[in-house]
Amino acid sequence: MSALLAAQEIEVGYGDMPVVRGVSLEVRRGEAVAVIGPNGAGKTTLFKAIAGMLAPRSGGILFDGARIDGLRHYELVKRGVVYVPAERELFPQMSVLENIELGAYTNYKSRAERLKFVLRVFPRLEERKRQMAGTLSGGEQQMLAVGRGLMAKPKILLLDEPSTGLSPHFVSEMYRQLARLKAEGLTILLAEQQIPHALAFAERAYVLENGEIRLFGPSTELLGNPDIQRAYLGMA
Amino acid sequence: MIAILIDGTVQGLQLALMAVGITLIFGLGGVLNLAQGQFAVVGGIVAALCINAGMHPVAACVLGILSAGVFGLVVDRTLLIPAYRCAGEERLLLGLLITLGLSFVVNGFMDYKYSDISLSLRLATPSFDVAGISIRTASAAVAAIAILAFALLFAFLKATLLGKVIRSIIQNEVGAELCGINPARIRTVIVVLSAMMAGLGGIAQGLFSSLGPEMGNGLTDYALIVAVVGGVRSINGTLAAGVLLGIVNAFASYYVGAYLTLIILLGTAVFTILLRPAGLFASRS
Repeated sequence: MSALLAAQEIEVGYGDMPVVRGVSLEVRRGEAVAVIGPNGAGKTTLFKAIAGMLAPRSGGILFDGARIDGLRHYELVKRGVVYVPAERELFPQMSVLENIELGAYTNYKSRAERLKFVLRVFPRLEERKRQMAGTLSGGEQQMLAVGRGLMAKPKILLLDEPSTGLSPHFVSEMYRQLARLKAEGLTILLAEQQIPHALAFAERAYVLENGEIRLFGPSTELLGNPDIQRAYLGMA
Repeated sequence: MIAILIDGTVQGLQLALMAVGITLIFGLGGVLNLAQGQFAVVGGIVAALCINAGMHPVAACVLGILSAGVFGLVVDRTLLIPAYRCAGEERLLLGLLITLGLSFVVNGFMDYKYSDISLSLRLATPSFDVAGISIRTASAAVAAIAILAFALLFAFLKATLLGKVIRSIIQNEVGAELCGINPARIRTVIVVLSAMMAGLGGIAQGLFSSLGPEMGNGLTDYALIVAVVGGVRSINGTLAAGVLLGIVNAFASYYVGAYLTLIILLGTAVFTILLRPAGLFASRS
């Protein structure tokens, strides 16, 4: 299988401070890959660089065989790189439906058909259709953010902490739907602090600590690694 | 009494036409445009020149509005680029300086080149009576134009894709980019639209009384007060603030004289800001 997305030795930072240092990772077509690690390890910075919201200082990012580093985020959406940040970045005073429809900005003609698909994935959004996005609960807002992202027909979905601020019930629900999307062939790169959920969902994972990849491998292998068990899974 | 109320409302609608551009450019582009009145003057003077050259007044006004739009386009694609390269407060400050400089240049040029030109449009019937109240035809025309322009603007923002995109950027620029929207391109559309609204405001001024080349700053001042009272990101607020301040303006000029009117207007603005710091219809978030 060829890599759909590959980051090669990228360094990203704010001002003089490097936050991500020499990180390489690869996501193959149809795969779900997780980036796990503690708060402040650089997961969000790494995702922002891949999504084109921060320019890497060195290294390259390849998507579908072409260099994408240096392109702005809105240019990447058209190519199929869709980013759903932890902050969700919804339009609070627009209806749920308007939020979803704007997600289809790059393929607006096929929005009706995409809308059906998204409402099938998240039926709860159908019930909330006319409500202002700002009045939704945290879990519903997360669904809306993912739903809006799906409207753009992503080839790869970059999900930053989809479980932040969600009740355990919503976290399970979210991962059930993500598993469904993956089964339908969507490629997903996910940053997560809820390690058990992330490792149960993704085939492979990278462990990011202090801006560097410390470990990587198949999720099952990482689950059996004593260091991971001690540091992230609370086992002695 | 009722006549003053009507007069004030109409003046307020005209002010709102001028101010809505400030609201839109600020909400979308993060630039507080201090040359908004100059956009109106450019539109009005072009219309006046065309009328003097023998063109039909309606065609001349349309051409004036289009010229204001072209002027806006040029400003957005040249002068404002350094401001757009910055973000946040830096962009706001640079935008203020650039548009202030632009207003000086336009004032100077107009004064040098067209000091004896002014736009005053006279309608065939000066006034008509409704239920015993005499209404100036010009007032009715300005009210009709402004209401139509706002109705079109609201319909555009509510129902079209471009309108939704504009609202989305005003609410959350990052979110809009996540949807694949290029904010810079939409910003240009908005600056052009705002400049054309200002041009329309200038034409309305010409209908009311007359629009001279030196009136840019005065119009900007009024428009700024209206935009601030309305809450610089809310279009409903701008409309409401325009009408409110127009009425205040009309009563103040009638009862205490023009000299104190601006003070009373500014007082109203300060009072509103004290009560509702984010504007009349402040959004909750």
